[in-house]
Amino acid sequence: MTGCAGDQLVMLNCEDQLLDVVAALDIRDFLMASSGNDEECPLDVALVEGAVLTRRDEEKLNRVRERAKLLVAVGTCAVWGGVAAMDGGRDGDRARLLAETYGPTGAAYDSTPARALHEVVKVDFNISGCPIEKEQFISALSHLLNGNAPLFPQYPVCTECKMRENNCLLIEKGEVCCGPLTVAGCNARCPALNIACVGCRGPADDANTTSALAMFGEKGIPRDDIVRKLRTFAPMEGPGV
Amino acid sequence: MKILKLPKNKLDFFASVVQQFGEVHAPVEQNGQFAFQPVRRWSEVRLDYNRTILPPKKYFLPPRETLLQYAGDAGYVPVMEGLDKKIVLFGVHACDVYGLNLLDLVFAGAYRDPYYQARRRNAAIIGIECTPDEHCFCRSMRADFVEQGFDLFLFDIGDYYFTLVGTALGDDMVLATGPLFEPVSHQDVEEYKRRSARKREAFRLHVEIRDLPEIFEMEYSSDIWQGLGERCLSCGSCSMVCPTCYCYEVADEVQLGSREGPRARTWDSCLFATHALVAGGENFRKTRPSRVKFRFYHKQRGFVAEYGRPGCVGCGRCIVACPVKIDVVEVLNQLRSVQNVASR
Amino acid sequence: MLPAADVPTYQALFTANPYLPQMARIVRVYKMVKDNHLFTMRFTDSELAQTFQCKPGQFAMVSVPGAGEAPISISSSPSRRGVLEFCVRRVGRVTDALYRLRTNDLVGIRGPYGNGFPVERILGQDLLLVAGGLGMAPLRSLLWYALDNREKFNKVILMYGAKTPADMLFREELVSLVDRVDATCLLTVDADPTGTWKGHIALLPAMFDHVQIDPANTHAAVCGPPVVYKFVLKRLLQLGFSKDRILMSLERRMKCGVGKCGHCSVGYKYTCLHGPIFTYWDAINLPEMV
Repeated sequence: MTGCAGDQLVMLNCEDQLLDVVAALDIRDFLMASSGNDEECPLDVALVEGAVLTRRDEEKLNRVRERAKLLVAVGTCAVWGGVAAMDGGRDGDRARLLAETYGPTGAAYDSTPARALHEVVKVDFNISGCPIEKEQFISALSHLLNGNAPLFPQYPVCTECKMRENNCLLIEKGEVCCGPLTVAGCNARCPALNIACVGCRGPADDANTTSALAMFGEKGIPRDDIVRKLRTFAPMEGPGV
Repeated sequence: MKILKLPKNKLDFFASVVQQFGEVHAPVEQNGQFAFQPVRRWSEVRLDYNRTILPPKKYFLPPRETLLQYAGDAGYVPVMEGLDKKIVLFGVHACDVYGLNLLDLVFAGAYRDPYYQARRRNAAIIGIECTPDEHCFCRSMRADFVEQGFDLFLFDIGDYYFTLVGTALGDDMVLATGPLFEPVSHQDVEEYKRRSARKREAFRLHVEIRDLPEIFEMEYSSDIWQGLGERCLSCGSCSMVCPTCYCYEVADEVQLGSREGPRARTWDSCLFATHALVAGGENFRKTRPSRVKFRFYHKQRGFVAEYGRPGCVGCGRCIVACPVKIDVVEVLNQLRSVQNVASR
Repeated sequence: MLPAADVPTYQALFTANPYLPQMARIVRVYKMVKDNHLFTMRFTDSELAQTFQCKPGQFAMVSVPGAGEAPISISSSPSRRGVLEFCVRRVGRVTDALYRLRTNDLVGIRGPYGNGFPVERILGQDLLLVAGGLGMAPLRSLLWYALDNREKFNKVILMYGAKTPADMLFREELVSLVDRVDATCLLTVDADPTGTWKGHIALLPAMFDHVQIDPANTHAAVCGPPVVYKFVLKRLLQLGFSKDRILMSLERRMKCGVGKCGHCSVGYKYTCLHGPIFTYWDAINLPEMV
């Protein structure tokens, strides 16, 4: 679908395991990695990256869904809509947006409000992340090959951050760190490097956005700033968000 | 008990001697906080630390560890490599020693955890006396002093560390230093008692734990839990930093293209929605308030029922680590309907 | 309770490293009811297979390589050695993977865990088993234990209700018990779409009208969906049962089975160590129990 192809790059960057991946899978259709692709054959698993931003995306996704027994959304765009959906899909007036951006020719573009895959078709499994984590990708494949669902942590980044014994940017420095709301799996990569979590993996299972907004508010951070930040990668649930 | 004293200015020499008993780990500063880390230079060790981000539990129940390996027809094989590595934890506070003593209760019993036990066997503990700060309430939890669980315990008495020798291994450490340790005098003992009394007076937080389990039963339906549940972010921080939280998750990984792979355990938290979720979708603690309540309840009621004392050491880590300022002392005193008061 | 001299030798296998499963093969898969198959398993180590002992009501941790491990109650009676039977409801990751396995495939088993039914307290007394729906699975070991040690118990009564005959677990073997003179086996279904059911067609609590029960001398083991507890417990209390003579089997999430991982906490107790069998008195005193 529409995206930066960063997740496909992660797949291709699994250098140590690439040969195992190729040996374990019969890859039929992978445009970025292969010149000869079969765009019609039935598939056991379809890994789909990107968000649905055009009618062409939608048609293509529907075709993939028909071909595949299992459809896996790969990357935050596919799972949550990603940066393209940061307006929450609420800019109903697409025509005005296109005109403002591209001028009179804008009307000719095939452009729809960004949607995550699950808003268009049934998605069986999600591998979130911007980009996805190599380890999670390999782990998901391994489990799927055994007929088992991929197994990922549902808890927030804070948990992994504490496991690594990082300093807390939220509490110690008062930064807008999205760790408490963002699903783990990255091993708190950014906070370990002293960078506040931007929430690129999308919300945790049980994110308490209401309380988090109040917490940031108490730190004197304007509500709009927080909401914008929380919406960068995914529509965070919660009243008024 | 053997009681000696160690000249303070010889501490670094003593630390160099204990290296022969294992890799020395001690609190060092990390951007204004502290963490137990392998000591590279003794000068970076901060024995005046308040609390480390993670308690020493990380050495015995690591955040992630492989328990078994599934190897096809050979079945499951225990993965025990590295468990025999000798370490010396230098500068452990009484509350953390107490915390390990509590974990010992959990990982012993009819089913001894061989991973935890092996690591415990191979670690020496050198305790050090500390001064309570605004989050410490170890005295309320009877964890401000420990009678056991250390090989040596050092108390600052001015120019010397008043030293309790807890085990034969501790005694070996003392002997390995040659004539470094000196006998204590009557004045030293008096100085120890003076400082001990002063420390007692220094606590600013107090929780009465007598009949607290029963008060938990009485306040099981209290409104307190709803409010706390609405605030809690379910971020798991309090559980990760807790010296007595031991819940863990177990999951199998598989090597790509096979059914073989490791079975690993990872720290877990009862604040997560999945904690009491059974296959089929039934969740015995569906709501956040019920999970927050459970965490407190288990520490102050469940642990007492099982092991005869609260599963809390009063280290204050959860207070420091909570992004929404849920404060265990406040909660417990609120349950008791008393103000936070200084102890006497 | 095992006599002290009869401490099983296999136990060392499961205590040296309590997390280490022993391998077993699937001997038979019997499709009892949809998504409720009976798996017969046998340890590959034949000495272990022969010496493994458990109490009725205990459970084991069953591993499916690559998928994980789950607690499953042992459905076979300890009085029958050699193999273990598990009535497995297909309900999650591990059981799903188990359903994909075939006869002769390997699984891991460790245990037995939990307190089991307090049979020593019931010896010489009456035993009443009340099961609804899938609740027969954890009671079946106790039923057969009692029947195989018939002289140790006074009356043995089973009341089992299912929606239809097709939903009845262990139907053939239970139907064959109806004619036994040394036990009362009351089987009932809510409805019989096939018209071939020869047993009762009534709701489970109606079975109480068919037997004489002496509450002061009886222990009742109850298992089933919440609606069963609701009506059966009420009936038992009306009959005058003491709350600690009513026994229930609980299900909780478990990752270790040996009191470490924390998941099966119910109130202030661990289901794996203090349960899975609790008295109704326990249930009243443990929050979040039912």
